[in-house]
Amino acid sequence: MSATSDSPDLEALFDSIAATAAVPVATPMPERPVRLAPGGGGAASGDNDELQELFDSFSVAGGAEAKPGEAAPAELMAATDGDVWPKQEVVFNQIGQMARTLHDAICGLGYDKLIEKTVSAIPDAKDRLAYVANLTEQAACRVLNATDIAVPVVDDMAATTGALADRWELLFQNRLSVAQFKSLAEDTHKFLRNDAQQKTALLHSQLTEIMMAQDFQDLTGQVIKKVGGLAQELEGALMKLLLQVVPETKKTEEVESLMNGPVINAEGRNDVVVNQEQVDDLLESLGF
Amino acid sequence: MAADPKMRFLVVDDFSTMRRIVRNLLKELGFTNVDEAEDGAIALQKLQAGGFEFVVTDWNMPNMDGLTLLQTIRSTPNLKHLPVLMITAEAKKENIIAAAQAGASGYIVKPFTAGTLSEKLTKIFEKMGKA
Repeated sequence: MSATSDSPDLEALFDSIAATAAVPVATPMPERPVRLAPGGGGAASGDNDELQELFDSFSVAGGAEAKPGEAAPAELMAATDGDVWPKQEVVFNQIGQMARTLHDAICGLGYDKLIEKTVSAIPDAKDRLAYVANLTEQAACRVLNATDIAVPVVDDMAATTGALADRWELLFQNRLSVAQFKSLAEDTHKFLRNDAQQKTALLHSQLTEIMMAQDFQDLTGQVIKKVGGLAQELEGALMKLLLQVVPETKKTEEVESLMNGPVINAEGRNDVVVNQEQVDDLLESLGF
Repeated sequence: MAADPKMRFLVVDDFSTMRRIVRNLLKELGFTNVDEAEDGAIALQKLQAGGFEFVVTDWNMPNMDGLTLLQTIRSTPNLKHLPVLMITAEAKKENIIAAAQAGASGYIVKPFTAGTLSEKLTKIFEKMGKA
């Protein structure tokens, strides 16, 4: 195998992956290096169960043709050595080399520490964003509750003042009796002295409530800045790393989706609309 | 607005705030008969139960998104006549085209104003009147 010299590094990498993925380890750890040791084909008897499982899974996927999966342990090792399954060996080698490259890139450039630091900050960032979602939702509810209270009051005042205005109109047209005028004056005075005072005070308090509901902005602004900083760090680290290990052809691919949420920055993009007018124009151009 | 003020609306959005805002705006426009659903799947259940005459839906929702809801409505014989107005933050041209092709009656991009909602509703009612 070409990867012989990589054994210790790869072994450590695979062990750490296996440990974090909580895969049940069927064979004792000390036996693992034996499998990858140079010329270790004959010494691999301890791994038969794992290899058997691996090949069984292939034979299930491959259907009836995959008879080699039932071969004896010695033949299995020969198969991975490339005599019977050359394509698979190429793939395994490539995966090994990719893992090696990734591992070297991470360690060699010090990204392991950087990524560890930023990844450990992600749970904290999740909590912070949940806090933002919570505060903004509360604020939205406070504002909507306040308008639910204020709107009927405004409607009521509009109706009352409208009715009074109509009666005053009649007075100026000399169509009110003295008694009617007296009653109008009393009603108007009562409205100005009581209703208007009470209701404007109530509206004032609801407007204050709406104003105070904006206090989230100060708090969420700080939190969002922090999370933004973290995202930038993480993006920077991952981007550098990806540019090193991702093949050239993959670098320009974009994720196409119909569920992207709001457009944060439309500058320089011609695949999005920025206002309702453009939506209407587009639909009209399509004949809708 | 010329439309029947008793017209029964279903407002579909996964955020209760947006449902409340749309409900309030519809009330301002004289439509008080409004029910809500928090995703496309629940909306479809309510629509199947009958009685609705207008659907206002978001796009990006869990379980069933607004486009799928629209497509399902258009392919269901007893629902396909329902006007469906989309109010969504999705602003890619291909979204708008996909919605139009799926048979959306209107498309409003968030953030939107009360005036826009009123204008689009009027336009849809005009079309319904001609049909």
